[in-house]
Parts: sequence; structure tokens; C-alpha cells
Amino acid sequence: MKLYLQVAKNTWDEMMSYRFNFAMWRLRNVLQLLTVYYLWLAVTPQNGHIFGYSRSLILTYVLGASLIGSIVFSTRTQEMGDNINNGELSQFLIRPFGYLGYWFARDIGDKLFNVSFALAELTIIYFILRPSIFLQPNIFAVLLTIGAICIAVVMNFFLGSLLGMIAFWSPEVWAPRFIFFTLVSFFAGGLFPLDILPVPMQRVFAFLPFGYLQYFPLQIYLGKLSSNGLIQGFCIALVWCLLLYFLVTWVWRKGLRVYSSEGN
Amino acid sequence: MKRLNRYLIIWWKLTLGTTQIAFQSRFGAVLFLLGKLLRYVFFLLFLVLLVNRAKVIAGYTFWEIVLFYATFNFLDTLPQFFFRNVYRFRQQILNGYFDNLLLKPLPSLFHPLFGGSDMLDLFVLILSAGFIIFAGWHSDHVTVLRVLLYILLLMNGFIISLGFHIFVLGTGILSTAVDNTVMLYRDLTQMGRLPIEVYQEPLRGLITFVIPVGIMMTYPGRALLGLLSWQGVVIALVFGVGLLFISLRFWSYALRHYTSASN
Repeated sequence: MKLYLQVAKNTWDEMMSYRFNFAMWRLRNVLQLLTVYYLWLAVTPQNGHIFGYSRSLILTYVLGASLIGSIVFSTRTQEMGDNINNGELSQFLIRPFGYLGYWFARDIGDKLFNVSFALAELTIIYFILRPSIFLQPNIFAVLLTIGAICIAVVMNFFLGSLLGMIAFWSPEVWAPRFIFFTLVSFFAGGLFPLDILPVPMQRVFAFLPFGYLQYFPLQIYLGKLSSNGLIQGFCIALVWCLLLYFLVTWVWRKGLRVYSSEGN
Repeated sequence: MKRLNRYLIIWWKLTLGTTQIAFQSRFGAVLFLLGKLLRYVFFLLFLVLLVNRAKVIAGYTFWEIVLFYATFNFLDTLPQFFFRNVYRFRQQILNGYFDNLLLKPLPSLFHPLFGGSDMLDLFVLILSAGFIIFAGWHSDHVTVLRVLLYILLLMNGFIISLGFHIFVLGTGILSTAVDNTVMLYRDLTQMGRLPIEVYQEPLRGLITFVIPVGIMMTYPGRALLGLLSWQGVVIALVFGVGLLFISLRFWSYALRHYTSASN
């Protein structure tokens, strides 16, 4: 455990040494957030509703989606594919820790750094724009939201790892990740709440993992789910987590059988 | 004219080279193309849902919003198509390849800007042009003069983008920071996916005149719909030419301060 904590700390330190790059990355996030924020502000009437969301609910959704996005989607798994392709994986195989554990620890370091900045940005944006936001008074709903975020973090790690492990069979690791990122950027619920989609599409997305990365935790926070909806959502998310876990470990074992490296 | 032909031939050969590299992995190329088209269609789908419910966004109807969105995509993709080499420039500075390029009998900006276009972007360009024509067809405001103004402002938007890319290259020479600067430019221009009336002040003023996303992306659409005054057209053109002039001066300055990283 101590070892993995040190890996997470090293990731934090690593990010501190590329401060300019990181600041630019965060600035880009703020710009993306502002685009979505103003779009929803423009289409939501002052005292009315759109798609069943009041202005304060939809703005809370947009700001919350940004924060949850920073927690869930900040990852280092994209380096896993390069690692396998350039043979650096060989060095990890002889080290006294698990490869997946190592990358999860790196993910945690990355997330802590990103979240601390995201919180600061959102605080500044809040004090400048002064939006009316919804504060969930029910502590139980807040705890469930945190639980759903934790599941989303694990799920996104497994999905990212699977994409990285494509490198065992193909040097083309960026194109599948690009497709995945495109799908996630729309169907995780970062741009819009998924319940604005036509009902047949909503039914399909309820069984896919994307919505459980961002949309589901936010629905819990906003109090939009019934008890049945909550139970069903958690069950589906946990089943996905388990499925992805088994898939990742299976692909890892299969991948190691075909893995070869030379010269390092 | 003869010189222009020569440049065109060189550009074509470089583009053929980069296309061959891109299609080395056909699977990857197809996935990248699919990703670009999906991104395009998904956002359009989102706009359809939004305008269906809200009826108008910032006073614009559905087809007008589509016109702005397609114009944005056209102006976002066209520079990417032509200036794709800007994204590779940092590496060329770091490994010293830029020294080699400076020795060639070509303008110093030619290769950093036009060193190989991305053919995958052609599909998005054609799609955007189709949507522009279709959205224009649905508007009652379109006249021949406005179409000409639209094309003029589209060209002006391209010139502003050219100016930005030259700035990015100059910054790359002075600090090697290319990747983040060019991505920041891309994110800023993303705000032009929607008409600037969506944004409130002071952000609207900022993205119109300080960072001219509005002039680049929104002014052509507004001109086509007859919503842009002649003063607006003049300001846009002066801005475009001015920015190009300043960026060229900046490039000369950066080039004078270039210290080779040659190997």
C-alpha cells in the first residue's frame, strides 16, 4: 500500500514539474465549461423549465458535470499503450508490484491534482458568475453521489486500461481512444443530461456504461431518481464494474502471452 | 504564377506523403474519420434536441443555428486541413529538422504551415459545405450580395486563422510551446460553434474583439442573414489583414531569435 501511495505522490510531483502545460490544460477545461454553461443559460428561461430542469438545476448540473468529469476522466492509462508498444512494460514485469495497481495509483495522483485545480476554478467561476445553484440538503443523497463517483472512477480506469491493452495486438492505440473519447464526451452526460434524449435512446443508454461515469452521480445529487431508479442504477454500474474487471484481467493475461520486447 | 504553381506542386507532394503515412494503418485512419464524423453528428443531434424544445437560441431559429454550426466546422477544419504541419512543428524544432528546412529554397513559413495536409479533414469540409448550402437554402434572408459577403468573410476568417497559426509557430521558435498553444486556440474557437449572442458580456466582447472568435466564426453567418452592418464588415476585414501583418512581423522577429537545436 505504501508503495502505491508513493507512486501517487510521484505522479503529483511529476505534474508539478510541468506546471505551464498543466495550467494550459486547465484553462482549456474552463473554456469548455463556459461554452456549455452559457449555452444552457441562453436556452433556459429565467423562471421556467427546459426538459424538466429549472435554471438552477441545469446550471448545477453543468458545474457538477465539470467537477465530476475532472475526478472521473483524469487518467494516465493512455500511457499504458505506449508503455506496451515501446517495450517499457518489460521493466514493470520484474518490479515488486502489480502493473494495474501501479497505473491506478498514478490515476489517483493525477485525479487529486486535477480535482484541487477544478475546485479552485469552480469557486472562482461561481464568485464571478454568481449562478443560482442547487445545494442538496439530504446528506444520504450526497453520500450516495460520492459512492457513484467512486464506482465511476473504477469503471473509467478499467475502460482506459482495456484501451491501453489494445497495444498487445496493435500499435494503433490512439484511434480507438479517440472514438471512445468522442462517445464519452456526448453520452456520459457532460454536455447535456441524458434524460433529454428520446425515450428509446435513454432505455439503451441505461444499459451502457457511459451514463454511469457522469450522468448517474449527478442525477442522484439533484434528487431526480426514485428509490427504484437508484437501486437499478447502482446494480447496473456494479455489474459493469465487475464485468470490466474480469475482462481487464482476462485481456491482461492473454496480452502477456503474445507480448514480446527486445533491446531494453 | 510560375512560382505559385511550383509551391502547389510541392504542397501536393508533401500532402501525398503525409496521406500515405496516415493510411499506413487503414484501421486507424478509418477510426479517426469515424470519430470526426460522429463528433459532428452528435453535436448536431444535441442542437436538434435543444432547438426543438427551446424553439430559438439567442433569437436564432434551427436552420440559422445549423448555419452557424456548419460555418464554424468549415472554418475550424479548413485551417486544420492546410496547416496540419503546425502540430508537428515542435518536434521539428526539437530534433533540429527545422534547420534543414531553412536551407531549402522556399519561404521560411512554407513548410511549417503547408508541410502536408490531412486528407481525412476533407470529409468534414464537404459535410460542412453541404450543411451551409442546405441551411442557407432554408433562409428567406439570403441574396446574391449576402452570399458574396459571406464568402468574403469566410476568407477573412481563414486569414485570421492563418495569423493565429503563424503566431503559434513564432511562439514555438521562442519557447517550443506549440502543442498547448495550438490546442488553446482550438478551444477558444470552439466557442464559435454557437452564435456569440449566446454568451453574455464581458465574455461576448472578449471573444469578439480581443480573441476574434466572433469575427472569425459568427460574422460570416450574420452577413448571410443580413444581420451585419457594413461597419462590421469593414472592422472584420481590417482586423484580418492587421492580424496577418502583425503575425508576419512576429514570425520575422522569432526567426531572428532562433537558436538552432540542431544535431
